[in-house]
Amino acid sequence: MKLSRCRFDAVSAIVRKDFLLNLRRRATFAAMMMFALTATASLSLSTGGALLDEKFLAAILWVVIFFAAGAGIAGTFDDEAQAGTLPTLKLYGDAQAILFGKMFVAFLSLVALSTFILPIFLILFDVGVEKIFLLLVTVLLGLIGLSAAGTLTAALTTSAAVKGGLFPILLFPVTLPIFLPAIRLTEISFTVAPVDSSLLVVVAAFDAILILAASILYDYL
Amino acid sequence: MNKIIFLLTAAIVVAIIFFVPPIKGLGELAKIIFFHVPTAWVAVVAFFSSAFFAAKFLRTRDFSADELSARAAKLGFVFVLLSTISGAIFSKLTWGAYWNWDPRQTTIFVLILIYGAYLTLRAAVTDEKIRAKVSAVYSLLSVLTVPFLVFVLPRMYFSLHPSPISSSGVEMDSAVVIVLIAALIDATLIFIRLMRKGD
Repeated sequence: MKLSRCRFDAVSAIVRKDFLLNLRRRATFAAMMMFALTATASLSLSTGGALLDEKFLAAILWVVIFFAAGAGIAGTFDDEAQAGTLPTLKLYGDAQAILFGKMFVAFLSLVALSTFILPIFLILFDVGVEKIFLLLVTVLLGLIGLSAAGTLTAALTTSAAVKGGLFPILLFPVTLPIFLPAIRLTEISFTVAPVDSSLLVVVAAFDAILILAASILYDYL
Repeated sequence: MNKIIFLLTAAIVVAIIFFVPPIKGLGELAKIIFFHVPTAWVAVVAFFSSAFFAAKFLRTRDFSADELSARAAKLGFVFVLLSTISGAIFSKLTWGAYWNWDPRQTTIFVLILIYGAYLTLRAAVTDEKIRAKVSAVYSLLSVLTVPFLVFVLPRMYFSLHPSPISSSGVEMDSAVVIVLIAALIDATLIFIRLMRKGD
């Protein structure tokens, strides 16, 4: 009980630290939002009000979220890496607290991103949502997986010479089990088709697998 | 080992040209499966080998395990490309299109992406110790996609890919089955030989 309380304190301290640093370094957050807005606007503009298939719309939404997320969370460990403070941080807190703290901050950033871009997307593409609750649950579940895999991927690319392009290359194959069912569920939420709840189970199961795997593998870094 | 591989390969080529009958409903051109199936098999074997040596490296910090993991991934990348190209040709011959995101095609393409990402990560990290650590972790992380590719993806998308085994048993001529099994063994031996090349 004491240990879990201690770990919770460490996680919340990491969340607080990263949140304050993000406030100071607002450019990354703004870049993520602007990336999503620019991508959505350019796609909407180029399709010029054409009637788009729900499947295509769902795919566009997730592609925008995926690449905007990449712009936002790729540098999750960059501050510590540049200052050389990660080993010290690991000594004072523990590695798991750092991972889960950063994962939670990444999740909050992605929730903010989706809250910003989802209404704009629906308006610009004139999408009628038939099942709003399904859409919200799908987005939240998708973001959990993206945050888990994204945080570990960010830790992997910290020492890489080229980071910008590398992050999405590494992240895409491992998040595909979330990506494809999430696109299908999003498509269903735009239509009157019946909900395939097994797909929700798949996304939730892969979220759990990714969180567990990130927790186990981060200790080896 | 070289002699065995050479003789087996020669025997398989002769058997494919002279003894194997045209495959039911697919004709003479479909004999490309004797190249396509073994290369796909080795691509998957190499993927698991790379992950196995990655886990071994993380457990022991033995850099020879890291080298083997990287070698398996490099070989896997070559084999997966060969398999994809031969599969696309087979697809064009039988379905009329090189690519249609069939579940098997998606699986093989995800393997290309994983191998490509792994090798790019290795190229991007210059410090030998860090490179070994991060690439081993990525190799193991990418294994997580396997249950999805094997169990979930085929349920999500309709497949045109021929399934050799059905509820009524193996739906292939016995000569085809024998040569195909021999080709699988041959390709596996080639992979093992190439893995041991640096020893």
